[in-house]
Amino acid sequence: MHDLDSRLNRCFNSVFPDLEAEQVPTASVESVRGWDSLAAVTLLAVVQEEFGLEIGLTDLSGLVSYQAIHNYIRRHNGVS
Amino acid sequence: MNLIEALEVLKEPVSPDRPAIRVGLACGFTPLHLETFLAAQLRQRMPGHGIEVVPGLFGDLAGNIERFHAAQCDVLAAVVEWQDLDPRLGTRSLGGWRTEDLPDIERSVELSVSRLERALRTSSSLFPVCVCLPTLPLPPLFTTSTRQASTHELQLRNFVTAFAARIAKEPLVRVLNPQQLDELSGMAKRFNLQSELTAGFPYQLAHASAIAELLAALIQNPAPRKGLITDLDDTLWSGLLGEVGVEGISWDLDRHSHMHGVYQQFLGSLASAGVLVGVASKNDPAQVEQALGRKDLNVAKEKLFPVEAHWSAKSESVSRILETWNIGADAVVFVDDTPMEVAEVKAAFPEMECLAFPRSDPGAIWNLLKQLRDLFGKSAISPEDRIRLESIRAVGALREAVSHDRGTVDDFLRSANAEIEFNFAKQPRDSRAFELVNKTNQFNLNGKRLTEAAWQDTLSNPSSFLLTVNYEDKYGPLGRIAVLLGRIEEKSVSVDSWVMSCRAFSRRIEHQCLKQLCERFAAAEIVLDYQATPRNGPLQEFLAAVAGGPLTAPLRISRNDFLGKCPALHHRVKELVNA
Repeated sequence: MHDLDSRLNRCFNSVFPDLEAEQVPTASVESVRGWDSLAAVTLLAVVQEEFGLEIGLTDLSGLVSYQAIHNYIRRHNGVS
Repeated sequence: MNLIEALEVLKEPVSPDRPAIRVGLACGFTPLHLETFLAAQLRQRMPGHGIEVVPGLFGDLAGNIERFHAAQCDVLAAVVEWQDLDPRLGTRSLGGWRTEDLPDIERSVELSVSRLERALRTSSSLFPVCVCLPTLPLPPLFTTSTRQASTHELQLRNFVTAFAARIAKEPLVRVLNPQQLDELSGMAKRFNLQSELTAGFPYQLAHASAIAELLAALIQNPAPRKGLITDLDDTLWSGLLGEVGVEGISWDLDRHSHMHGVYQQFLGSLASAGVLVGVASKNDPAQVEQALGRKDLNVAKEKLFPVEAHWSAKSESVSRILETWNIGADAVVFVDDTPMEVAEVKAAFPEMECLAFPRSDPGAIWNLLKQLRDLFGKSAISPEDRIRLESIRAVGALREAVSHDRGTVDDFLRSANAEIEFNFAKQPRDSRAFELVNKTNQFNLNGKRLTEAAWQDTLSNPSSFLLTVNYEDKYGPLGRIAVLLGRIEEKSVSVDSWVMSCRAFSRRIEHQCLKQLCERFAAAEIVLDYQATPRNGPLQEFLAAVAGGPLTAPLRISRNDFLGKCPALHHRVKELVNA
């Protein structure tokens, strides 16, 4: 779990450098001002690269928060 | 570099004092991660600069290139994909893949290529342009199987190849080498259809990273090295000359030493492009003389100069070769098969690129040749490149003549029968003048380097002047050896850049340059943007002699003071003026 958390945190930090560490686990489209369509594409590209995932077209629209992405990685990658 | 690393590079703060480089990124797709990778690669390659990558509009490659003409870019990176040449060659447009559409697609690509060519030619008259040709596979719209290339497909590729060959002839256009991209990024792993459909970005991340890496290198365009010093035994040839004798050394297929012949051939290629090639070998000099005289050697003996063959340390040989060439260690590459020799030279000259010759591994030798090609690569061969070695030999002859001549220096210079040609024509595409400004260290007014865009910008200023200087005497031509760049003001001339090749020292050419400026512009005073640098000692020496006081920055020299101190000048002078 720790590994997934730290790697996912790094992904978020690289795309949202102004986000404080404690804000990352609760980050979402609603709470992060810079989370626009461009940032979303970049974030998901970074996540796919970092975790070796290919996120399907149908899953893209649901990945709108740290927690949702966290859950997706756990389901599809088995990282613990 | 992966995307997260690129983003992290871009998070690092940049000092606002650093000169900024504005890179126009023209492509027809959403630039997205390519923009990120390119900015990060440039930031890493050019840490002394602020980097700004400016994208264009979606779906309009040619229009983007044209819009950048007025956008004050320092350099343009144009990335072409098939869909930019005809939308039917992409996947986002549904315009018809019927058999009868194919001739129309061909015509459309031909027209698009013509428009791109016109736009890029205009761009290259304003700033350097780096072009990436289509990298993605063509879609499966042709009637042949994917195994068989259709005539239409071949014709499309032909249009693009011919277009690239034409624009690559422009002095400021650099075309990304598809072969190098193929090595970094396999065709099967380039296209990301899902990303293309969802975000308009057609590349896999690794492919975008590879394109950005090569484009950044093209944009940076590092100055090529000037000289290569090679070992002989088990490097230029196979075998130890002292043990097997002149006939025992080899570079042939029969004795499995063919790659040494390929290396010789490569050195011959470098030498013909103006690279200095010297030899540092621990051997008997008489035997080396004989061995280098073998008729089947694939590099001409006279192209190897100087040859240092004796039993002293390699670093001593290297030191003498550098002195003969009169260039810095950072402009030279040393190649030797013995790791200990490589380490010894590296310890003595840390700034020199020192490479081991992998004598028993043909594949590794091949890779070494590619590495050397990158270190010495240049866009074009200048007339000065062709005469460099001869002029260095002439300098040696001149020094020898001076040291043996019992007459005065003036007698000697008078007898040299020298002719100097001053050329005031401003030629923005003069790559030799630009190259001299950016690679000369010893006679350099201030050590300042110029970007290609700054060079173009300065020359386009009506008050600027460019003076290039050609020299020839009875010892041979030196070619274009000095460049002065500056501005004409009311009663003075300001010189912002002044460089002179070290091959031209001791001939009073620098005095003639100042005299020429005073006369040409009727200037009462010359203001030099002088700065001392760790390497411009020869320039400082000259200025100290003519300034008549402490060297200040800027340095003002009055015409009368200078003419009072100027020694006799014996050159014949020719002047060419602006057309």
